[in-house]
Amino acid sequence: MSNKRKRIDLIYQGITYAAASVAVIVLSMIFIYVFTNGSGLLNFGLITTDYHAKFYNSGIQEVDQFSTAPRPDNLGEDTYYSEKWGIALADSEDREGKLVITVEYVSEDSPLKNLMYDKNSEDEKPIQLEEGDILGTIKFNDKGSALSIYGAKNMLDELDEEDTFREMVFYTKGGGIRGSIITTLYLIGLTMLLALPIGVFTAIYLNEFAPINRFTNILRSMIEVLTGVPSIIFGLMGLAVFVPLTVKYTPADSGNIISGAMTLAVILLPVIIRSTEESLKVVPDAFRQASLALGANETQTTFKVVLPSAIPGILTATLLAIGRVIGESAALIFAIGTAIKDDISIFGKSTSLAVHIWSLMTDEPANIELASTIAVIILIIVLALNLLVKLVSKKFTKKFD
Amino acid sequence: MNNVFNIKNLDLFYDDFQALKNIDLDVEKNKVTALIGPSGCGKSTFIRCLNRMNDLIPSCKIEGNIQYHKEDIYDDNYDVIGLRTDVGMVFQSPNPFPMSIYDNVAYGPRCAGNKNKDKLDKIVENSLKKAALYDEVKDRMNDSAMGLSGGQQQRLCIARAIAMEPEVILMDEPTSALDPIATLKIEELINDLKENYTIVIVTHSMQQAARISDKTAFFLMGELIEVDETDKIFTQPSNQKTEDYITGRFG
Ligand SMILES: Nc1ncnc2c1ncn2[C@@H]1O[C@H](COP(=O)(O)OP(=O)(O)OP(=O)(O)O)[C@@H](O)[C@H]1O
Ligand SMILES: [Mg+2]
Repeated sequence: MSNKRKRIDLIYQGITYAAASVAVIVLSMIFIYVFTNGSGLLNFGLITTDYHAKFYNSGIQEVDQFSTAPRPDNLGEDTYYSEKWGIALADSEDREGKLVITVEYVSEDSPLKNLMYDKNSEDEKPIQLEEGDILGTIKFNDKGSALSIYGAKNMLDELDEEDTFREMVFYTKGGGIRGSIITTLYLIGLTMLLALPIGVFTAIYLNEFAPINRFTNILRSMIEVLTGVPSIIFGLMGLAVFVPLTVKYTPADSGNIISGAMTLAVILLPVIIRSTEESLKVVPDAFRQASLALGANETQTTFKVVLPSAIPGILTATLLAIGRVIGESAALIFAIGTAIKDDISIFGKSTSLAVHIWSLMTDEPANIELASTIAVIILIIVLALNLLVKLVSKKFTKKFD
Repeated sequence: MNNVFNIKNLDLFYDDFQALKNIDLDVEKNKVTALIGPSGCGKSTFIRCLNRMNDLIPSCKIEGNIQYHKEDIYDDNYDVIGLRTDVGMVFQSPNPFPMSIYDNVAYGPRCAGNKNKDKLDKIVENSLKKAALYDEVKDRMNDSAMGLSGGQQQRLCIARAIAMEPEVILMDEPTSALDPIATLKIEELINDLKENYTIVIVTHSMQQAARISDKTAFFLMGELIEVDETDKIFTQPSNQKTEDYITGRFG
C-alpha cells in the first residue's frame, strides 16, 4: 500500500519536473536565439543613429594644405590609408550583402573634414566625411569617376593622383533605432499622462466613494472584461476612433503618436484601475477610521491617508504599465502605423521599438539581426522594470509590518 | 446634573439582528464612565454610536435618541464632522498613521484648516505632554510613528485625539493590546485626563474599571442591565446578573 503511494508520488513529481524543465528549456532557447542573433549589432551607436541612410553630394573648395597625419596604428590590415587626404577606407558589405566602401578614419586636418560643402543645400553649407560613412562615387574634373565597385584601394589611388574633385557621393550608414526610441519615450509619457490620472481617480472613486449599487457593479464588470480583450481589437478602435479624432483636431493627417498613446491608454486603463484598487484595498481600515474619528472628511481621509499608503502599489502598476507600452505592438500597428521614421513628431507616423521589429521582419528580405538586437534591448528594459517592481513592492510589504 | 450625553430608548440593528435594546444612559461631564460586559454584548457598538462611527457600517440602523448637549446627533442636519472633533476616539489596537510622529498629532488640526506652523508646533507639543509621551519622543518628532512601541503608539493615538481639544474621549479597550506596564501608564494617563475631559471607556478588565472609572455600566446581550457609581457596582450591585458577572460566576 505505502509502496504504491510512493510510486504515484514519484510519478506526479516526475511530471512536474518534466513540465518545469520543458518551460525552462524553451525559454532559454528563445533567449539564446535572440541574443546570438542580436548581440552582434548591439552597440551604443545603434541607439543614437538614424534608421534611414542620408545621401550627400559634396563639392570641395580649393585645397592649399593637404593632410600630414601619419597612418594611425590601430587600423586593420585590409584598410587603405591616404596620407595626402587623411582618410582610411576599407571594403565591406552592407546589410543586404552588397559590396561597399566604408570610411574607417578621417584625420583632424583632412581636407574632407574641413573644406567640403553640400552641393544640394542652397547656401552650400559645410559638411564633413565621418567615420562609419559609406563612400559611393568620386567624380573628377579631367578623368573618369572612381566607382565603389572597384574597391577601396582603387578609389584611394585615383584620389591620391588628384588635388581636387568635382563631386563626392557618400551616405550615412543608417540602420539605427534613434527614432523608434524617441517614439517609444513619447508613447510612454503621453500614455501615462492620459491613463494614470484617469485610472487612479477611477480606482479611488470605486474603492472609496462609490456606493454599492447596480451602476458601480456594471462598471466593475466592464473593467474586468476589458482586461481580457486582445489588444488588436483596441488597435482597431484606435484606427476607427482616435485616428480620425486626432486628424480632425490636430495637424496630423494619418495615424500618429497621439492616437497611439490614446489607444494604449485605453488598453492600460483597466490594468491601472485594478492594480490601484488592489493597493487601496490593502490599506488597513483602521487608518480610515482613525482619520474620520478625528473629524477629517472623506476627501481628506482619502488623499491624506489612504492614497499615500497606496503609492507604492500605484508605482508598481505604473512600472508594469510602462512595460506594456514598450511591449505592445498589435494595437500600435493600426493606431500609429508601421513606417520607420527618423524625424519624430507627435503628430506624425513612426514606430515604437516593438513595431520597429514588426516592420523589419515584414521587410523583404527580413532583417533578423537588427530585429533581434531590438528584441535584446526591449528584453533588457523589461527586465530592469521588473527588478524595479520587485524593489518597490519589497518596500511596500515592509511598511505595514 | 451636568450631562454631556443623554441617550434614550436606543435600539440598534445590524440588518435584522438587534445589537442594542432600549438603552437609556447619561454620560456625566468630567467623569470616567466604564462599559463592561461579556464579549459580544454590544459595548463597541454602543460607544461607536456616540461619535457616529457606525455610519461607516451600511447595514447599521439606529432608532431612539442620542443627545449631545441636548442636540440630537442623529438629526439629518447634525454636523458630524463637528461632533467628531468634539468627541475623540481611541481604538482597541493602536492605529497611528504611517507618517511621522509630528504629522500624526498635527493631522486633525491640519484637516480642520489649521495651517499656522507655530500654532501647530504648540498643539503638538502640548498634546504629547498631556499624553505623557513628550519626553520619550521629543528628539525624534520626524521619525515614523510606526517605529514606536505598542504602548507608545497608543499614547500617540491619545495625543492625536487630544490635539483636537475634544470634550469627550471614547476609548474602546485601549489597553487590550498592551503589556501590564504600558497598561498601567495608560491608566495613570486616564486618571490625569479626567480633570479636563469626559471619558467613556470599554474594558474587559473588572480591575481596570474599578481602578479608573467613576461610573460603570454593565451590558448583557444588547441590554444595559445596570449603571451606577463604580464603588456601588463592585460592592453592592442591585441586579443579580451584575453580581454574577463581576464575581465571575458568569460564562
Ligand atoms: N458590522 C457588524 N455587522 C453585523 N453584526 C455586527 C457588526 N458589528 C458587531 N456585530 C454584532 O453585534 C453584537 C455586538 O458586537 P460588539 O462588537 O458591539 O460587541 P462587544 O461588546 O464590543 O464585544 P467585544 O467585547 O468582543 O469587543 C455582536 O453579536 C456582533 O456579532
Ligand atoms: Mg468590542
